Amino acid sequence: YLWSDQSLLSALVLCMDVGFSMSNSAPGEEPPFELAKKVIQKFVQRQVFAETKDELALVLFGTDATNNPLDQDDQYQNITVHRHLMIPDFELLVEIENQIHPENQQADWLDALVVCMDLLQTETQGKKCNRLNIVLLTDLNTQASPDNLDVIIENLKQAGITLQFFLPFRLEEDEEGEGDADRRDSGHPGTGKGLSREQKSGLEMVRHVMLEGFLSLSTYVSVSESDAIEQLCMFKRIERRPMAWPCQLTIGSALSIRIVGYKAVTEEKLKKMWITVDAQTTKRDDVKRETVYCLDDDNETEVQKDDIIQGFRYGSDIVPFSKVDQDQMKYKHDGKCFAVLGFAKQSMVQRHQFMGNQVVKMFAAKDDEHAGVALSALIRALDELQMVAIVRYAYDRRSNPQVGAAFPCIKQDYECLMYVQLPFMEDLRHFTFPSLENKKLTPSDAQLSAVDSLIDSMMLVNKDENGEQKDLFKPHNIPNPAFQRHFQCLHHRAVSPGTPLPAMEPWLQATLDRPEVIRERCRAPLEEMKRKFPLTEVEKKKKLKTSAQIFGKDAEESDAKNEKDEAEEDYNLADIAEGSVTSVGSVDPARDFRTLIKQKSLPFREVCQQLTHRIEQLLSNKDTLYYMKSITCIQAFREQSVKVNKHPPFGEYMMMWWFLLRHAVWLFYGDYDKDEVEGSTISKTEANQVYRSVYVSLINSKRS
Amino acid sequence: MAEWNAFYRNEDEEEEQEEGEQSGESYRITGRDSLVFLVDASKEMFIKGEDGQPSNFDMTMQVVRSVYMSKIISSHRDLVALVFYGTEQSKNPRNSFKHVYVYHDLDEPGAKRVQDIDSLRGEKGAQLAAETMGSGETSLGDALWCCANLYSDIKLRLSHKRLMIFTCRDEPHGGDSVKDRQARTKAGDLKETGVVIDLMHLMKPGGFNVSLFFCDVISPPEDESELGLQEEPCEKLDDLQKRVRAKEQKKRAMARLNLCLGEGLNVAVGIYATAVTARKPSAIKLYRETNEPVRSKTRTFHTQTGSLLLPSEIKKAQVYGKKQIVMERDEVDAIKKFDDPGLLLIGFKPMEKLKLHHHIQPAVFLYPEEDQVKGSACLFSALLKKCSERNVFALCRCIARRNYPPRFAALVPQHEEVDEGNAQITPPGFNVIYLPYADDFRTLDPPHYPAASQVQVDKMKEIISKLRFKYRSDAFENPVIQQHYRNLEALALDMMAPEDIEDLIMPKVEQIDSRLGPLVDEFKDLVYPENYNPESKPCGLLTEKKPKVEVTEDELKVHVQNGTLAKLTVPVLKEACKQFGVRTAGTKKQELIDALVISLLKHFAIDKA
Repeated sequence: YLWSDQSLLSALVLCMDVGFSMSNSAPGEEPPFELAKKVIQKFVQRQVFAETKDELALVLFGTDATNNPLDQDDQYQNITVHRHLMIPDFELLVEIENQIHPENQQADWLDALVVCMDLLQTETQGKKCNRLNIVLLTDLNTQASPDNLDVIIENLKQAGITLQFFLPFRLEEDEEGEGDADRRDSGHPGTGKGLSREQKSGLEMVRHVMLEGFLSLSTYVSVSESDAIEQLCMFKRIERRPMAWPCQLTIGSALSIRIVGYKAVTEEKLKKMWITVDAQTTKRDDVKRETVYCLDDDNETEVQKDDIIQGFRYGSDIVPFSKVDQDQMKYKHDGKCFAVLGFAKQSMVQRHQFMGNQVVKMFAAKDDEHAGVALSALIRALDELQMVAIVRYAYDRRSNPQVGAAFPCIKQDYECLMYVQLPFMEDLRHFTFPSLENKKLTPSDAQLSAVDSLIDSMMLVNKDENGEQKDLFKPHNIPNPAFQRHFQCLHHRAVSPGTPLPAMEPWLQATLDRPEVIRERCRAPLEEMKRKFPLTEVEKKKKLKTSAQIFGKDAEESDAKNEKDEAEEDYNLADIAEGSVTSVGSVDPARDFRTLIKQKSLPFREVCQQLTHRIEQLLSNKDTLYYMKSITCIQAFREQSVKVNKHPPFGEYMMMWWFLLRHAVWLFYGDYDKDEVEGSTISKTEANQVYRSVYVSLINSKRS
Repeated sequence: MAEWNAFYRNEDEEEEQEEGEQSGESYRITGRDSLVFLVDASKEMFIKGEDGQPSNFDMTMQVVRSVYMSKIISSHRDLVALVFYGTEQSKNPRNSFKHVYVYHDLDEPGAKRVQDIDSLRGEKGAQLAAETMGSGETSLGDALWCCANLYSDIKLRLSHKRLMIFTCRDEPHGGDSVKDRQARTKAGDLKETGVVIDLMHLMKPGGFNVSLFFCDVISPPEDESELGLQEEPCEKLDDLQKRVRAKEQKKRAMARLNLCLGEGLNVAVGIYATAVTARKPSAIKLYRETNEPVRSKTRTFHTQTGSLLLPSEIKKAQVYGKKQIVMERDEVDAIKKFDDPGLLLIGFKPMEKLKLHHHIQPAVFLYPEEDQVKGSACLFSALLKKCSERNVFALCRCIARRNYPPRFAALVPQHEEVDEGNAQITPPGFNVIYLPYADDFRTLDPPHYPAASQVQVDKMKEIISKLRFKYRSDAFENPVIQQHYRNLEALALDMMAPEDIEDLIMPKVEQIDSRLGPLVDEFKDLVYPENYNPESKPCGLLTEKKPKVEVTEDELKVHVQNGTLAKLTVPVLKEACKQFGVRTAGTKKQELIDALVISLLKHFAIDKA
């Protein structure tokens, strides 16, 4: 069920001129060599990240040395097979970056072509390659002997090899007329004037090959202008071979149509995950992650994996529910299905209620014309009635069934049903929002007309002078920028380790912004909008300032952390919002204390006094719980006073500790022989505990 | 140690964020939501409707049950209470209020409570209610006071407090102005402490007149400028359910962002998830002995030394083209950052440019946030109006949150719709439809077949019109989730077997067959030849199971060298991993390949020169 031709591979030889003339350039221009190197780099980069199985070889000519299988009796000199046919990798990229330099010889580009052809033919033997390609990058500035041209052309034809030239100059408009599909910059004025004699005769030959119809030609005049390079810059978009899903569309028990489904649109994700490695050795095997389980008690008692069972929450209850039971009791169904529940008006299925993250196209089964006709009848009937089929869809027995809509889709060359998942009742949230039809909000006519002209100026779809529609901005033609950026950074790190990550490439940045035309056009209407619609930012709570104050962090803190801090601040503000705290109570004196300090409704001193008073009261209870509470109170006191006064009023602070310590000491050294301390319900061990925690807190607070 | 905590906190956060993205629930939770059902238990509530329609009381109990269930499923941490007023018996915390019966105080709903509600439903339920509570005098003031105590007795922080009154009596005190005044005062107190009071008024003969008394009790509508919609009383269970459901969930914005129309022209908007795929919740790990939940702690340590690794001692890596590329942890985040969160207007396009199949994620909803930027609502409203009028959508670039790569989205205008009862069906605002990138499309090679003839099409049209129905998005329950909760319910309540569920997305085959009658055969005669059987499996699928395959070390070496490991199948790769004792991160093909490449390069000491 897989389309057969997609399993075949392609083989490509990059053939680059590194000879003497390639490093010549007019002042201020990049030499052809550098441009050619860029093209090759981008191309290989693209192949590496696309992880295609396509194989690639690199042949250089004009090299000082000679290294190729045809090297014999002064023939095929100064041509080097740099890399034989294999899947491209980073080594190759690093080599291109570091080992390929302009050299001092010149070689016949036709000879180089022959070496490439020979390489392709010998190295693809026994491999299933369906596309053979040679890409030649040269300025044609060498004497090439045209004697064998016809033989070469004949050989190319027989081997089914296609040829692509990248030349460093633009061709004259009238010189290149022969319909070349890949030509990219025909609109520019030609700069082919100052060509040398060799180049002119070379061009003649290129044109000759072109006439044979299996050649394409691109020029790489300047990297910034030529979209030929830009095309290469975009890392090959991720292509996945679509998986066929054969099934039967059923209407009731008696009518079924054999169909096959393919994912047509789905949110593509990067295949690879980040792995964790040791920073020093950069080996993943040196790092191990381990998860342990523990009870939610004070000692965090560890629990063995075998002693863990699974359960589920049912509201406030937790119900133990073993995997075996779960499997036995869970919802089961008959597996794969595409069954019609009924038909509904298309208008009843709203676009914003599409669920899931894919669109599946359903075709009639392969090689089944009858199914084709039957499905066509359904598609056309639905289309004419403006209806959809509401269906039950289950991918297989293990996956959960869905409800969805099958829309008719009739294209010029095919017909299909498009399946989209629809919501279940449990998925929907019925929010109501205040009406905007409201006297205070109703925009005036002047305001509405300002919006009108903004829309006019920012229409992305316009008719051009020929009455043809032109869309200035098509997101579905943009490669996912996240992938592009990801690969750019990975490439950089691989090729130039130890240097900081590069900035985003300008062309990528530009694709994510308003088109230049629109930016110009909407300038005036935007100004008008600004005049007509006063917008004032409501002053925000001084979140960031306080968080910086409290935590004393420098500005370089990570975003994520700041967010967390803000959340914490919100939390406290929510406390305040409760508005019920007027004095330091006994339930949670520390929290009350913090809230009161924040509210600033009472003087700091007074709140402190309340707290001290509360601590005394707590201690008189002679109970472990209250002692612990006192400790949190004192901690709160310290933390708040640091915030308010930068440093705590030392005397008071120490007094509190002393107070507490005295009680603890008394507890500890009190009547030691008895099992219980006199006058209290605290046992000896508890007293010990209290003493230790007070002591530790005191030591810690001194240290900070 | 401080660094440690920070590290793990970050890691958890990452996970949370991912989950947040999945479910669209990314808002910060600052407290619990609470909901009190205050239900009239007077005799009038128990009067059965015409033609055996359920009584108002019965209807209310059904709605309360469904809210309990939906809380259990979707937000189990919310607190719910059920209080009856106008009862003969009294039952409340300090028994200080007569004729008020607290059936459930504010707590998380559980299985037992659902069962309690069930016992109050139907004929038997009415009987039980009469026996345990009875109907007596009414003092709404006392009832509200009692509810106020329920709120204040809660030690947890409550973020949203709502009280719903279910009644069919528009004059609960029969004109007793003292009691009326008491009730109004108490309602005022409640509202002052942040409780939103709603009225779910039910049908009674002669109609329900809100202005007689209740208009002073209930909270004013959200937008204060207008008096709000004068809703008709509910007569049908469906309506009541809808109305309660609309109020029962507190709407929270997933994110608050600026919609930037141009430099210096920022409209504050909130993004709301109105449809989120509900999933079966994940299991909780319990200690076998006590059934108490356990916590998990994850540690990262060095394999050789066994020492814990600090965040600074860890880096991230990916393998491409035989090379392991290493990055710092913060670089991994930095790569994802394109710009600050926000929506940037790119331009406008006619609606027909929005293609049906450009779908990659469920849509979200956009509504202005007037309290962030004053003037937002007006501009938003103008934009909405004009987009809708001119039948265009706004194309935007959307960065939903920090360190999120951009997506493009169509803002599709949606104007407000209300039903006959003046209840909102669709809110005013923009639906945000996320658009695919070039990478999200797959190249298909569609088969080509002759198109059907008009006769064949017409026959299918007959079939279609026989099976027409009115689609409603909330008509189908998820059988998987329903079954899961029925199972839990049965276990929690020690029931013998779970209640049966009705699988609503199962085609009603018999009904369909009988409706279609001879049409099916007529259609088949038109499109299929005589001996054609669409049920028969295509022969291509009957392939025999392949024998187990292994690769030799030499073959493997060649594959690693040439980077052609991907040509091998997953079982073969797994076998190879076993053979060489290679640890893998997972069983995906790519993960297997990466693991093999790294360790085999070492193993073979492949010459890199």
